[in-house]
Amino acid sequence: MTEPTQTGSQPLVTIDKLARSFAGVPAVKDVSFTVGAGEIHALCGHNGAGKSTVVKMLSGQLAPDSGRILLAGEPVGLRSRQAAQHLGVALVDQELSVVPALTVLENMSLGDIDAPLVVRRRAAVARCREVLDDMGLERLRPDQLVSTLSMGERQLVEIAKALSQRARVVILDEPTATLSDVESRRVFAAVRRVAARGCAVVFVSHRLSEVLELCDTVTVLRDGRAVVTTPAAGLSVEQLIVHMLGEAPHRLAATRRPDPDLTHALRVEHLHVPGRLEDFALTARAGRIYALAGQLGSGASDVLRALAGLHPRATGSVELRDRAVPFRNPVGAARSGIAFVSNDRKGEGLFLDKSVAWNLVATRLDRLGAGGVVGAGRERRTARSLAALATLPPDRLAAPVLALSGGNQQKVFVGRSLDRDDVHALLLDEPTRGVDIGGRAAIHRLLRSAADAGLVVIFASTELEELLELGDVILTMRDGRVVNTYEGGADGAVLMRDMTERKEAA
Amino acid sequence: MTTDLRTGPPVAPARVPRRRPGSLAVALAVLVVALVPVAVTTDRFLTLDNARAILASAALVGITAMGATLVMIAGSAVSLASAQTATVVAMVFLATQDRGLVVATLLGLLGGIAVTALQGVAVGYWEANPIVLTIAAGFALGGGAIWLSGGTPVNATTDGYELFNSTPLGLPLAVYVLLVLAAVAQAILRRTAAGRQMYLIGENRAAARAAGLPVGRVLVLAWAFFGLCLAITGVFLASFNTSATTNLGGTLTLDAIAAVLVGGTAITGGKGSALRTLGGAVLISVIADILLIRGYSTGVQILVKGVLVLAVVVLVHVRAARGSR
Repeated sequence: MTEPTQTGSQPLVTIDKLARSFAGVPAVKDVSFTVGAGEIHALCGHNGAGKSTVVKMLSGQLAPDSGRILLAGEPVGLRSRQAAQHLGVALVDQELSVVPALTVLENMSLGDIDAPLVVRRRAAVARCREVLDDMGLERLRPDQLVSTLSMGERQLVEIAKALSQRARVVILDEPTATLSDVESRRVFAAVRRVAARGCAVVFVSHRLSEVLELCDTVTVLRDGRAVVTTPAAGLSVEQLIVHMLGEAPHRLAATRRPDPDLTHALRVEHLHVPGRLEDFALTARAGRIYALAGQLGSGASDVLRALAGLHPRATGSVELRDRAVPFRNPVGAARSGIAFVSNDRKGEGLFLDKSVAWNLVATRLDRLGAGGVVGAGRERRTARSLAALATLPPDRLAAPVLALSGGNQQKVFVGRSLDRDDVHALLLDEPTRGVDIGGRAAIHRLLRSAADAGLVVIFASTELEELLELGDVILTMRDGRVVNTYEGGADGAVLMRDMTERKEAA
Repeated sequence: MTTDLRTGPPVAPARVPRRRPGSLAVALAVLVVALVPVAVTTDRFLTLDNARAILASAALVGITAMGATLVMIAGSAVSLASAQTATVVAMVFLATQDRGLVVATLLGLLGGIAVTALQGVAVGYWEANPIVLTIAAGFALGGGAIWLSGGTPVNATTDGYELFNSTPLGLPLAVYVLLVLAAVAQAILRRTAAGRQMYLIGENRAAARAAGLPVGRVLVLAWAFFGLCLAITGVFLASFNTSATTNLGGTLTLDAIAAVLVGGTAITGGKGSALRTLGGAVLISVIADILLIRGYSTGVQILVKGVLVLAVVVLVHVRAARGSR
């Protein structure tokens, strides 16, 4: 366990000039900071600032290109997550890794490198009890199934698990993104307890007000560099946002004229997804681009998924072109004229082993001929014209999509919903995730021309530049609710505050 | 004195993207080349009679395998109830012969389609696991067969079914039916919206769902076609054997899967074709034929078939795993 003697003289964690590139593109250029024992240190930054790369290097999942990591003054090589665990570095991930089908105790012993080969059950229970009590989780029983716990309690079990493995350094990556207020409080209390025991805590969060509330010190990353490290006390959310964005916050361009014909609109009322989205309403007119601005867990992506029929438990009323949309199954939504572009291009988007041409026509096969027969000539012409529309190289039509760059893959994904007279609304979740600058501009042009062609376009994004560049109307979202709606007049700082700060007692 | 040329500056391996034939294609080519001398030196192999025998023995398994191909492409699913389904169809077909051949045939076909399409509904709409589901269906159908027949062979009261044993132009009718079904299956897969959607669903079901493709309907179609093929197999089995016992289907289930796999249709779904399956069925029967003529025992024949399937599965799987990285 940690000796309390380390305070003062030597920081427990020293990050020294870390740098790391991916395929020649630097993600982290120069990051240094230190975390002392008992300190809660926040890592803040806009998307792409390099937070997760730093976290991955510190937890042994990525090797730095240059720079050093020192634990208690000793330079260490963290070659794997196990190696990091051996040295007492525990990571509580964005994605929960507790297994719902197992008990609390079983989850705690999962992946525990110190677990004896033969588990002595009584000792294990006692130890588990001790850790739970330590965390203030007296009401949880070691033999309770994790599936009976709330998301917040699961997160707490996850933290308890990290602690039970004799951690000196605990990294929490967005631990509260999907939690309610009350649940977040419990996580904070647990984090404070962990720090009080002499651990160094690195806390990554998008929620700036909770960062200021919880943490002792804040390091802000921007474009792969640590721009400032400062005590949290005396820092305001506004100041923090300025640090994160640098100067020159972008402004939303003048809004475009909407299609005056409201019969072409997508009308959403009382859209509700249990546990994710509450009472969402929007009348989206054809010809305009609507941007949903929200971090992970804000409900922005859930709006799109619900409309696309991928949330079977969603309730509410949805009308497109004055016709009700059966939005509880994807076939019904598609038939009503909704096309959806998922944020998971590989898992839920493209057919990677199939050719570009196949992918481009994948969702309109029944329209390429009569009686369910696919006309070969028509298929070829359609694929070629879509490739031209999406600015894809025509000589790659026969290549498997897998062989394309991320940008071109995304063009295929978006392109397959374009130029169809039966699609009236285009929904995109993170339309340019993992796409290079050039591809991004091309996709933005595609979306603009789709709107100009009379489609309702709605996208969800976490990237401020994208939201401001592309959105005619921006809805900021947090905790499953809309915070504000902007038709012009928004800038990066305003959006950031809406997306990250908790609403004042509403 | 002389510098060793081999220790010169390391030359980076040229990373030229090249279009290489799939390992499966290579393996099959090697196999065919290896078979030719064996075949030529085997007495009576290169005779018209023997060619007929090969086609005839490929026919029934091939017909079933055509349907199995669609189901495997559309969802990496196999049916473990094939033999039982064909058996039940055969019994229905024979037991209703007294109502006329047309009625008996229609009843048999409809029964096979209905039973199998129902499994398709469970797989397509309710996301049932096809292995578990078809094992259960196999038990139910097997039980049904015993109950229907009372454990004794089912015989027909008339011999109208003899029509199905006819041999136009010297080849069994089943061979023609196999060729027609292969053409139909190939056309469905390549040229209809539903067939193309089968490839897409097999490749990535989550993506197909998110895109709003009619996953359930397409899978039911695939299974219904499978049911048709199984029923046709059952009708031919009944006619050929003139009576149906509860184990009439024999090893049909695994034989059909073997033909599909040897043809190179990926067990992971999304890849394959009806023509490949036709090739697989014929290849298996050629090898069985050679072994038979050369006097090897049935045990050896089955062993070789097993090894062949194993080799192909490993090759296809390895190729797929490399391809997706």
